[in-house]
Amino acid sequence: MQLMRSAHKLPHPVYMLVLVDIFAFSLLFFRETPYDISPLIVGLSLIASILMVYFLIRGFKLGDEYIFLIVSMLFSIGAVMLYRLDSELGIKQAKWLGIGLVAFFAGYFIFGWFKVWDRLLFFYMAASMGLFAVTMGFGREIKGSNNWIVFQGFSIQTSEIAKILFLFFLASYYSQREKLFARFSKVRVTAAFMLVAYLLMGLLVLQKEWGTPLVLFLVYFAVIYIFEKDVRILLVNALAAVTAGTAGVLFVHHIRVRVDAWINPWADIAQKGYQIAQSLFAIGAGGFFGTGIGLGRPELIPEVRTDFIFSAICEEMGIFGGVAVILLFLLLVYRGFKIALRCGEVFEKTLALGITLMFAFQTFVIIGGVIKLLLLTGITLPFISYGGSSLVTNFAALGVLQRISAKQATAERSTAYEDR
Amino acid sequence: MKTDRKIIHVVISVCFLFFLLIAYLTYFELFVKDSVIENSYNQRLNGSENSVLRGSIFDRNGKLLAKSQINGNTQERIYPFGSLYSHIIGYDSRVYGKSLLEASYNSYLSNQYDIHSILDISGKIAGYKPSGANMSLTIDHQLQTRAEKLMRNIKGAAVVMDPKTGEILAMVSKPDFDPNGQELENNWTTLVESSDAPFVPRATQGLYPPGSTFKVVISAAAVEDGMSDMSFEDSGVITIDGKQFRNSGGNAYGKLNIQSAMAVSCNTFFAKLGTELGFENLKDAAASFGLEKEVPFDLPVSQSIFPYDEMSKTDMASVGIGQGKVLVTPLQMAMIASCIANDGVMMKPWLVKRVATVSGIQLHAGGPSVLYRSVSPETAASVKDMMVGVVEKGTGRNASIQGIHVAGKTGTAQNELTDRGKGKEHAWFIGFAPAEDPKVAVAVIAEYSGASGGSLCAPIAKELMSAWLGL
Repeated sequence: MQLMRSAHKLPHPVYMLVLVDIFAFSLLFFRETPYDISPLIVGLSLIASILMVYFLIRGFKLGDEYIFLIVSMLFSIGAVMLYRLDSELGIKQAKWLGIGLVAFFAGYFIFGWFKVWDRLLFFYMAASMGLFAVTMGFGREIKGSNNWIVFQGFSIQTSEIAKILFLFFLASYYSQREKLFARFSKVRVTAAFMLVAYLLMGLLVLQKEWGTPLVLFLVYFAVIYIFEKDVRILLVNALAAVTAGTAGVLFVHHIRVRVDAWINPWADIAQKGYQIAQSLFAIGAGGFFGTGIGLGRPELIPEVRTDFIFSAICEEMGIFGGVAVILLFLLLVYRGFKIALRCGEVFEKTLALGITLMFAFQTFVIIGGVIKLLLLTGITLPFISYGGSSLVTNFAALGVLQRISAKQATAERSTAYEDR
Repeated sequence: MKTDRKIIHVVISVCFLFFLLIAYLTYFELFVKDSVIENSYNQRLNGSENSVLRGSIFDRNGKLLAKSQINGNTQERIYPFGSLYSHIIGYDSRVYGKSLLEASYNSYLSNQYDIHSILDISGKIAGYKPSGANMSLTIDHQLQTRAEKLMRNIKGAAVVMDPKTGEILAMVSKPDFDPNGQELENNWTTLVESSDAPFVPRATQGLYPPGSTFKVVISAAAVEDGMSDMSFEDSGVITIDGKQFRNSGGNAYGKLNIQSAMAVSCNTFFAKLGTELGFENLKDAAASFGLEKEVPFDLPVSQSIFPYDEMSKTDMASVGIGQGKVLVTPLQMAMIASCIANDGVMMKPWLVKRVATVSGIQLHAGGPSVLYRSVSPETAASVKDMMVGVVEKGTGRNASIQGIHVAGKTGTAQNELTDRGKGKEHAWFIGFAPAEDPKVAVAVIAEYSGASGGSLCAPIAKELMSAWLGL
């Protein structure tokens, strides 16, 4: 409650967000003659939808006021960059925001209305496997990963849905495990849980997708660190991860190619190392302050609209721009942890943690990849990369997080009332 | 509560990871960047090439193989035949850069050649749009199409050349890829990570053990060094310094001379011949046919190797049958076949016939030139006779063409995979026709196919030679 009061004294962050959007889209408007009105329309519709959702959250007291603002800022930076790369793409991304916001509220309300989420453990498992079967049966390989379903002209990346199902699976297990412990031995339940978790991650590996299972493993590991009391369980899992990683590097050709490109991209810069080298050239060209929006050549970066958008941001907005993006993610993650810490109920606590950790690790893995700190795996930068599947699922997950924070706020308000 | 304390640990770890990102970015900017960005693959250094319409590429008869087209304010490179020329012309992609001819002739194609812009002043006055120079190749589109069809389900390479001039008439490497912009961008990751290595131009950069096709080089050395009258009683196996060398299929051929040993591709005979020739003679022979030497060509070529500083008897025997550490490119084997065809004179291979501005000023022209005089005309003639014997009554019968004499040599080369089990040998065939007045020479390899050169590659070589000869 104290926080809210202090927020009223300072200029509110929402105005900063609006200001940034106005500046950026005006810049895009003045970039080319003859002037084209469309960046202004995109910018205004962006501002309008963000403000509308923000005031809904504030007016109806729908929980945490900041996570949506932070995400809107990230989305704006991404949308400006995408519009600058290709105006068509920017317009499409703005439309995806509309659908993403619908998903945000859908996540918020559907999660709130039904009270059964914690008891659907077996449903999440079955749904993940069903999704895998459908993808393998009807899926198409796009850009090296076999995790797309093409449906009526839309291509849906099913691993994005699998990711959310996995988080629900984790949360539901930890809320139900006391019941399971009552019926079966502790060791058996834990072993079965771990096996299923690895199976679900393994299914993604079978679709030649490496980034998402890596992110999910990190989330899984952090969650078991938090909830398992026995250190041996952690050791077993760490050992399993190291073994799987080593085996992957030794025996899977795809992974070896990526490891080679990571260790020394300059050895085969024409092919294996090309993508990462171009990313480093772009970041290098930007320097600390960037070339300025529209003045760099981010179109030379491969896969710039999805995996490598962070390099484009660094080229035109500088390392400082890149650091700003990282700090915005850090703020988002901080708020997410705060929500998780306040949760009393295990299911919601785990789910809030899962969603927060997913944002955190996905950001870390892809940014680390494009700056060559880590092995490069093709995943999106949440809320910034172009792509409907990723945007819609991330907004839906954000909606769930928002709902969890709203329940706390209501609970706190009522206790505060009683205190008085 | 214990859980919450552990959550705090995780929060701290995540903060640390994010801090790591920021620290590494700063480190990169301060200490790494300068050594990285000065790279020829950094297109930011070249400025924009868009003001110039990139030149077109044609085959020897003027068939269009690559062109550029303006789309709004960007250019698009179009390859009408898709993957057919992916290992000759390469690709020119806005995002993925340039390869092969698109890279090596870039300064001509994009008009960055200093003299070009001065020479082309008449073009400018005449009001031509600024455009890069056009190239024509020595490739024959029809033959290339035929070669690609024949090699379609094979991994390997086929090289067809004119033995007298060194012109490359067709050159196929399989697997290949579609170099057109959108296709390349969509498939890039798959292509780079594929264990089939579709980006490797096998004809020029694949290094293989030559197997029995190397017996051509060995018999040339034997003739040059006066050892061609060796006669030999073959029992199907010979033991040299404790190592056994066997004929393929376990055959024993009885009494043989070099002629008949070549025709049946007798391993015991050539293993023995290898030891008789000795290190110096083998090394000289390899060098005279261009191994261990740079191949001057319009595309990057891997150097074929003979990596011995000294040789044991078993090394000599192995090299005698084209095994051991000797590795060659398919192009090198086509050059060796051409050399025998061309009276022992190895011609420099070439691929680019002419580069000229749109207004017709010639900037570069290819032409025949002698690379090495490898062996004497007499030696070449007697090796040619042996190779005719291979096709007429030996292992190369599948390459015979009715009405003319064909010279050839088959090979079935063991490699790192066959050491562990059978069924993965490279199948080879090299040859030329007509034997009296050679007009075409070929080298065909099907890697890890497990087939014999005579059954798999000889028929392909036959088709290619008769297609070129119009038979």
